[in-house]
This record gives sequence, C-alpha cells and structure tokens, in this order.
Amino acid sequence: MIRVHGVHFGYDDAPVLRGVSLSVEQGDLVGILGPNGSGKTTLLRLLAGALAPDAGSVTLDGQPTGIHSRRALARRLAVVPQETHLAFDYSAMEIVLMGRYPHLGPFEVEGPADLAIARAALETTGTGHLAERIFGTLSGGEKQRVVIASALAQLSAGADETSSAALSVGERSVLLLDEPTASLDIRYQLEVASLLRRLHDERRLTIVFSTHDLRFAASIATTVVLLGRGTVLRSGPPATALTPGAVADLYDIDEALAVPLLGT
Amino acid sequence: MKLAGWITALALGVIGISPAQPRPTRIVSLVPAVTEMLFAVGAGDRVVGVSSFDRYPPEAATRARLGALIDPDVERLLALRPDLAIVYGTQSDLISRLTRAGVPLLRYEHAELADITQTLRLVGARVGRDGEASRLAARIEDEIANIRRQVAGRPRPRTALVIGREPDALRGIFASGGVGFMHDMLEAAGGANAFSDVRRQSLQVSAELLLAREPEVILEAHPPEGWTPARVARERQLWRAFPGLPAVRNDRLHILTDEVVLVPGPRVVDGIRLMAQVLHPGAVRRAAGASGATGYPVRGAEASRPSREP
Amino acid sequence: MTTPPIRRGVPIVAACFVAMVGAILLAPLVGSTTISIARVFDRAVPFADNIDAQIFFIARLPRAVAAALVGGTLAAAGVVFQGLLRNPLATPYTLGVSAGASLGAMVAITFNLALPIGGVAPASLAGATLAVAVVYALATVRHRGFSTTVLLLAGVTLNAFFSALILFVQYMGDFAQTYRALRWLMGDLDVAGYTPILTALPLVALAFVIFAWLARPLNLLSLGADAASTRGIDVVRAQRAAFFGASLATGAAVSVGGPIGFVGIIVPHLVRLVVGSDHRLVLPASTFFGAAFLVGCDAVARIVLAPIELPVGIVTAIVGGPFFLWLLVRRR
Repeated sequence: MIRVHGVHFGYDDAPVLRGVSLSVEQGDLVGILGPNGSGKTTLLRLLAGALAPDAGSVTLDGQPTGIHSRRALARRLAVVPQETHLAFDYSAMEIVLMGRYPHLGPFEVEGPADLAIARAALETTGTGHLAERIFGTLSGGEKQRVVIASALAQLSAGADETSSAALSVGERSVLLLDEPTASLDIRYQLEVASLLRRLHDERRLTIVFSTHDLRFAASIATTVVLLGRGTVLRSGPPATALTPGAVADLYDIDEALAVPLLGT
Repeated sequence: MKLAGWITALALGVIGISPAQPRPTRIVSLVPAVTEMLFAVGAGDRVVGVSSFDRYPPEAATRARLGALIDPDVERLLALRPDLAIVYGTQSDLISRLTRAGVPLLRYEHAELADITQTLRLVGARVGRDGEASRLAARIEDEIANIRRQVAGRPRPRTALVIGREPDALRGIFASGGVGFMHDMLEAAGGANAFSDVRRQSLQVSAELLLAREPEVILEAHPPEGWTPARVARERQLWRAFPGLPAVRNDRLHILTDEVVLVPGPRVVDGIRLMAQVLHPGAVRRAAGASGATGYPVRGAEASRPSREP
Repeated sequence: MTTPPIRRGVPIVAACFVAMVGAILLAPLVGSTTISIARVFDRAVPFADNIDAQIFFIARLPRAVAAALVGGTLAAAGVVFQGLLRNPLATPYTLGVSAGASLGAMVAITFNLALPIGGVAPASLAGATLAVAVVYALATVRHRGFSTTVLLLAGVTLNAFFSALILFVQYMGDFAQTYRALRWLMGDLDVAGYTPILTALPLVALAFVIFAWLARPLNLLSLGADAASTRGIDVVRAQRAAFFGASLATGAAVSVGGPIGFVGIIVPHLVRLVVGSDHRLVLPASTFFGAAFLVGCDAVARIVLAPIELPVGIVTAIVGGPFFLWLLVRRR
C-alpha cells in the first residue's frame, strides 16, 4: 500500500535518511525500531506525506503522496504524535471532533453523524467517560488514547458511507504513531499496546509506529523495520528479524547484552 | 549684619534677583518671549545664546542654539560662560546644575497677560535697561488699553480659540481654557472665550463639547511653519463637518498663522490687534506704519483675513 | 447529548451580538452634555438649528460606531494573534504593528505633515505597514516556511526599536507637539463624523474575511504545527494569513483610535471563560463583546470628568490592568 523507495532526507546540512526503502502492506502492523536520532520520526512524517523526500519516492497505492491534497491525504492517513501540548483548553470531545475537519466543507459544522463517530471513537479507545473533561487535566495514558480516538475519527468514513457501524475505519486507512509509549507508565503502555492490537485484529487497520522500545515492538508488531545509521538494516517478522545479532548491531551494544532484552 | 546680608541674598536669590550685581554682558535665554524682550530693550547685542525655537528678531537666529524646555544643552550653555541665564521655572534639573556652576539665574513662569509687562520690567531691571523697559512696558499697556476701548461696547462673540489639532482633520482639538495669556488676549481683543469655565490653560475639545458651546467665531492660532495660503484655505473647509455651528454658518472661521498671537512677549499687542481686527472688523485701527509697538513690522496680517473663496 | 459542542455556544454568541447592538444604541444617549431625546428626533426643527440632534448624530453616534469597530477589531485581532503564537498572553501589539502605527502618527503630528488625504491616519497606516513588512522579512529570511518563535522575537525587537524612535521623534518636537502626541497615544475615539470609519472599513472587512476562513485552522494550530498539518491544513499558509490578517486589522484599528490597550487581551480571555476555546465561537463572540466593551469604556471616559474627557485608553487600562494581573496569578 505504502512504498518507500530509495528515500534520502536531511535537515539543512545534516542528512538523516540515506537510501531508505520499505513497503507497508494493507493490514500490516509495522514497528519501526531504532535508537534515538536514527530518523524514525522523520521517516514517519515522510510516510504521512508531511515531508517531501530530497531524493527517492514515497507512494500511496502507487501514486506519490505529494499529488494528493492535504485534506484527501488526511482522510486516509492519520498521525498520532508522541506528545500533544495544547495552547488552549479544549475538551476531549472537541479534540476528537477536530479529527472530522478533513471531512467538512469550507464552512460546514460538525453534524450529529460526526458526533456519533466521535463518540464511537472515544468508546473504542476506552475514553468515552472522559468526553467532557478538559484535555489538559487528563493523565498521560488518557491523553494518548483521546488523541488516538481523534485519529480514528479522522480516518472514519462519513455518515453517507455504507457501513452500519458509526465508526467505520476502512481497510484503506493507515494509522501512524510516533513513539506511542515513550512518555507513559507501564500500565498505560500496556493499555495502548492492547488497544493497537485490537484495532489491528478487529478492524484490520493498517498501523505503523515508531519506537525505541524493543519489547513493545516485539510484542505487537507483525513486521519490524530496524532503522539504523540512516538506512534499513533489516526488516521482517519479529521472530526472524529481531535476532540478538541484529539488535546488537542496531543499538551498537554487545551481542551478549542483547539476549535478555528480547526476553523469551 | 553678615547673617542678615546672607538671608537677604538668599531671599532675593529665591525670587531670582541678585542684589547689586554688575550688569550682565553675556546673556543666554531659553525662553523665546524673553529673548524678544531682551532685544526690544536694546540688550540684544549682549545675548550670546538662545533656544532652538527662537525666530524673532532675525538677529536672534544668529546666536548659539541651546535647546529648549525639554532638552537644554547644558554643556554648550556653560561653554558660553554666561553671566545671566534665563530659564523656565520648571526646568528644575537645569536650575540646580546652573546654580552649582554659579551662573546667575532668572526663572520664568508662563502666566497671564498682565505678567508679560511685569516680566519685561523685571528683565529690563536685571540687564540694566530699566528705562527702556519701563517705557516699552508702558507703551504696550497703553496700546492694549486702547484696543480694549475700541472694542468696548460691542457685543462679544463667543469664540473658540483653537491652539492645536491634528493636521488635516478635526481631531485632537486643543483650545485655550479660561486661564492664561491666550485667554486674556482673546478677552482684550473683545471676544468671549467659549471655554472660560474650564480653569486650565488648555483642554482637549471633543466634538460634543464644541457643538454644545455653539461658538460664533472659531480662531485657530498656529506657528507659521508649513502654512501656505492654499493650506489655510483647504483646512478652513474642514469645519464644514459641523454645519450647525454659528461660526460655520456665518463663515467666521479664521486661521491665524503669525506667531505674535502665540508668544507672550513684547509683540503681544500686535497679536491682540490681529485678533481684534478679526473679531471686530473696522473697530480697531491699524497701528501707524503697520508696525508693531516694538517697531518691527507685523507679518502674517494677510493670512489672517477671512478667505474670499466660497 | 446529541448536539455537537459548538452548538451550545451559539446562544452566547447571539447574546454578545445583542450586547453590541444595545451598546451602540444606548451610548449616544449619554454624554457630558444633557440633551433631550425628544428634541433629537423632532423633525420640525431644522437640523442646523437643532443642537441636540447635532450632538447626537455628529458627535455621539459616529463615536459609538467607531468604538464598536475598533473594539471588535482589536478583540478579534487579539484572538488571532493568540492562536498564531499559541500563547493566550499575546496581544495585537506584541508583534510591533501598533508601534509602527504610533511612529507614523508621531511623525505626522510632530512634523505637522499635512497630506491632503487626512493627515495622521494614513501616516499611521504607513507606519503599521512598515512594521509588518520588517517583522515578516525577519521571520522568513533564513527559514523555509514560517517560524513563530522568530516572529515573536522579531516583533518584540521591533517594538523596542520603534518605541525608541517614537521617543526620539517626541524629543524633536516642541512642547505642544509632544503633548498632543502623548494624548494620541492614550487613544481617542472622537471621530466627529464617519470619514475615519469609512476609510478603515475596507481594511477591516478584508481582515474579517480572512478571520472567518481561519477559524478552523486556528483550532488545529492549537494542537501543534505537525498535528495541524496531518489533519489537512497548510500550516504555513494559515500562519501567514493569520499574521497578515491580524496585522491589517490592528493597523486599521490603531489608525482610527490610537493604540488602545487591553481590549485585545481581556476580551478574548473573558469570552474563552464562558464559551470555551473553539475559535469558531471565540472569534465572533470576542468581536461582538469587544465592540460592546469599548463602547462602554468610551461612555465612561466621556462622563466621568465632564466637560473634559478622560482618554479612553486610561479607562481600558484601569479595567484591564488588575484583570491582567489576576490572569497571571490564576495561571499558576
């Protein structure tokens, strides 16, 4: 579905990605794994179409992401950033409803259908009871799940589509998450992990996330991509790709230390 | 005896008069009105420094420029080694510095019409030209009384004396209140200040206040810089925005661009005469030879006539 | 609950609108002079003889309209600048537009420029344009796109620089000019006619068209530039539109009434307390409430020391200063 081919990217004078190629198929749950500074966030932004590569191509269904309008792209790709800092006080429901903006006409206002989608999204992420709470008062895990709900609302088809369920996140949608568990406690990490698993399994949602947490990647991803030194070192199912040797190479540590990191 | 002498000196020093000093030969004046007085009593050749706003008489422009009320150039002033400095009473910083430097001072306060001739006598005494000062003061007072007589008995038009506003707009209008020499000039010229109840030298006049006072005459007084006859004609038309004002209906709008109406100096009688000629045309005779009490020609008499344009 | 949150705010926006209209209609009834309303509307008396009518229609009514225009515009500009800079403490004057406008006005007042097109106001607009151009150039010179951090730094620097220039210009003037210049800086809504309003109106109208388009993008910008971008808006375009729109509005407002302070920060805050942070509600509510607020402050300014008037900027400062302090304390 998404193909990255020979992409180079750098900020001003510093190159970050040097020839990255990977492909994300429909229904994949891909974990991009790498140490800090390896370019995971940059790669994610390129996948989302928020950045244009200096060289190479990023295509969605065979077409470069650049040809789609931002709104059209937003209806298929949603990004959940690592942290969300609001400038003003919005309620959780308002945040989720902002996910519907790419579906609204120029001066159109959200209608009952959009509200239903938003409520369903909140329920799906287990935050339905927080709808009227001010976002800034929520815990880290709650905030993250509300933002995921907003992304789901963004990906959901409109009320005029043929699905009977309020929240219809199609098989052609992609959810991108940047370090979804980086700033969370263990408990919330597990919550988010199980949520992503559920979304993938029950709705066949294509998910791509970046992380430096080995165990998180290994536990839920169907495919891992090891990103190091600006390029893809290995990719494949965790069982085959996450060998102690590969992990040692990725993090520049002793192979012997890599073994306990992977657990059993 | 010495103590009494010191006390006397102190008291007189406070008033600004120093006892039994030799007549000053190097005088600086930061007050344009007093500069004019100095030249008028014949002490002009002894003036070595003037303010940046001094324009009259022309000889004053040849003297060193020393700043003004807000920005006096103390170093330049002291470099002239003055033996008399005439400054504003409010320039406390300057006064303390000059006192420390031992420069004799004369402190000037803006006040009312009658104070002009008082100051003239004071200045004359201070520079050793008592006789000329007294004669000039008396002449000025006579002239003013003369004008008062000539307009006495005539109805006094309610007049708004505008001393400032935004260029090309009727906003930020400042007028003379019921206090100060401009108000006194207006009264002497046979006008009734529309804002005499406001006990301030100047006040900002809102549109509402202007309309409520229904002035029969509007006099604007501006320094001459930038006021061409074309501009005078153009800006008079601004007042058409208030068609109901008696002054506008009867076209009694006058823009005076001669500084004689703005400087409380020896030429103040020319300023009063100018106003009187405009308020009561024909009642006031021009002074002999169209020159003022000081003998200098009066500029700007032409610009003050009501425009004949429709 | 089947109504989206935005609909709950609509009655409040409507109430603010009613407050604005009410203020414009009621303000001309009060003033330093006592007038009789019956006489104002008495058709039998010719207008040229009817002082009460002249006071009402020439002095007070245009003034109320001007106050509404300036108040509403400053409040809306405040909302937009706060959204652009992602900071609730931003004001319409943070980025230097007002300093530029004030400098233009100072030059016109001090050097007695008499441009045939109405004196101080065009000079003030020219100054505002200069300030906006300089700040924008600084913010974009070394960055692809638009950095709000650099924008803020450029604006603050320009404020300081232009303020120094303003003092310099005042220093060059004589006492009377300096005094008049200082009074201008305190704000003055005594337009004495509709000309200043009509001159500013096209600029304000254009700014508000931009604001209407910006309402949703501003909501998204609150989430952060990246989050906004991935939700379908062109972030740089929205930031540029916000900067130029709000600067245009501020420049127009200041050219009419001088740099009246505190409206651009008090009103958006009060409105957000009641209506939430959805810009689609905050923008119209702030506009209407800001209009009503300034009309009220101007009425107070006219009455309190009759027959002389308090500059309206002093009234907004007396109301706004303590409010601002309370805001700072409240925000932890």
